[in-house]
Amino acid sequence: MKPLEPVSPGTRIVLGIAFFVVFFAAWAAITFGGLVPKLFLADPVTMLQEGWNLITHHGFLKDIGVTVWRVVGGFILAALIAVPLGLAMGAYKPVEAFFEPFVSFARYLPASAFIPLFILWAGVGEKQKLLVIFVGSVFQIVLMVAVAVGSIRRDLVEAALTLGARDQGIVGRVMVPFAAPQIAEILRLVLGWAWTYVIVAELIGSSSGIGHMIIESQALLATGQMIFGIIVIGVIGLISDFLFKALNQKLFPWSTI
Amino acid sequence: MSGVVVKGVSRTFPGVRGGAPVQALSPVDLTVGQGDFVAILGPSGCGKSTLLRIVAGLDKPTTGTVTLEGKPVTEPGAERGMVFQSYTLFPWLTVAENIQFGPRERGVPAAERRDTAERLMAQVGLTQFANHYPKQLSGGMQQRAALARALANDPKVLLLDEPFGALDHQTRSLMQELLLKIWEDNRKTVLFVTHDIEEAVFMANRVLVMSARPGRFKSEVQVPFAHPRSYRIKTAPEFARLEEQLTEDIRGETIIAAQAGL
Repeated sequence: MKPLEPVSPGTRIVLGIAFFVVFFAAWAAITFGGLVPKLFLADPVTMLQEGWNLITHHGFLKDIGVTVWRVVGGFILAALIAVPLGLAMGAYKPVEAFFEPFVSFARYLPASAFIPLFILWAGVGEKQKLLVIFVGSVFQIVLMVAVAVGSIRRDLVEAALTLGARDQGIVGRVMVPFAAPQIAEILRLVLGWAWTYVIVAELIGSSSGIGHMIIESQALLATGQMIFGIIVIGVIGLISDFLFKALNQKLFPWSTI
Repeated sequence: MSGVVVKGVSRTFPGVRGGAPVQALSPVDLTVGQGDFVAILGPSGCGKSTLLRIVAGLDKPTTGTVTLEGKPVTEPGAERGMVFQSYTLFPWLTVAENIQFGPRERGVPAAERRDTAERLMAQVGLTQFANHYPKQLSGGMQQRAALARALANDPKVLLLDEPFGALDHQTRSLMQELLLKIWEDNRKTVLFVTHDIEEAVFMANRVLVMSARPGRFKSEVQVPFAHPRSYRIKTAPEFARLEEQLTEDIRGETIIAAQAGL
């Protein structure tokens, strides 16, 4: 091994899978070996059995569907508002001066701390879940998109100006395409965070969803189910990440050359 | 008919962090006739790029005016094409799309745009790279594409800010010949900024030497070689004499600039 020496694609996959194997092996060793009582940590086999039971007997797939719907719904609402606002802030400095201080402040408001308030306002239904994800995502996206757009190379803007571009052309055909791959990357990142918000929202006051299942399982001391739920979240995150990356590569082939 | 007329143009930049304002350019006058090829030579920091940016409309003069064919220059425009020293092709567009950028912004129909791009790509030898992205091209190829992109608007004047400054010597020589060939074919008005004496003498009809900061025109040399010029003139005795004269002129200014810590 030498610093920065590349690794072949095949080896990369093998190494990536190897860690999962090591992880599960270690888990199996401490649970089957009796190092940790079953009450606190289920072994991998029990976890899978309980997970299978959840899916076949307790309609867990529906819970997964509900949670995915909430994340995607709240996230899309946030993106629809945040991306155009971030673009406007990045391109026009007075707009930035107007919004930036508030958005910077709002970004640090913990979305989870709003849950009790949202329950008061919107009940424990879907509206409240969407609100939590929306509030948790929107300010982050606004700020990061504004920074991405604002980081446009000045010489590219100047080149466009000398080619006859006017305001609309500069924003629409220089700044937007320049920032587009970064914006896609920001959305991928924030979607990951949205997953943590939805689970928190479901842990408090919910009658469905993965988070709800986890909190129910706690009452039953079913650690296998809880871990299964957590792993399902991880797998869904991995899949959405993969899809996002594939989409970015397809949409912006130039950015990865 | 006069092309570009610069009258009493100076530029003073405000002081940084409460420092004194910096005068980059003393008031200068310059007239570039239509179809002329004028090179501005000067040590780094002498304000030659500032002058070019003012002509482009990218910077505003503190005093004075710039006119193009009698019309005052107040902002950037398609009739003044520019090629920069840094690589400024749009990385998200292919070579062909980059060249079509200007015409597209001006609302030229797609078919006409494509024809223009094809003609220019042939002229700069990039036809086979039409669908390549800038990152897939060498520095020399990128600057050729940038030149084609500026020409696609059929500008009245071409402003070149050390466009070959970042290229290696051999590529640079070929680029000079290419630019000269293009100029000889269509005789556009060219204002070329460089610190390379050989480059200036080889291509330009007039070479102006700028003083150290704050820049002003110190001397001017008429280059007598007829067009079309071959790279062989670089070894002619007259060429060497002009180079020597300009070297002397510039050397003094470079020493002043170096002492001023520019």
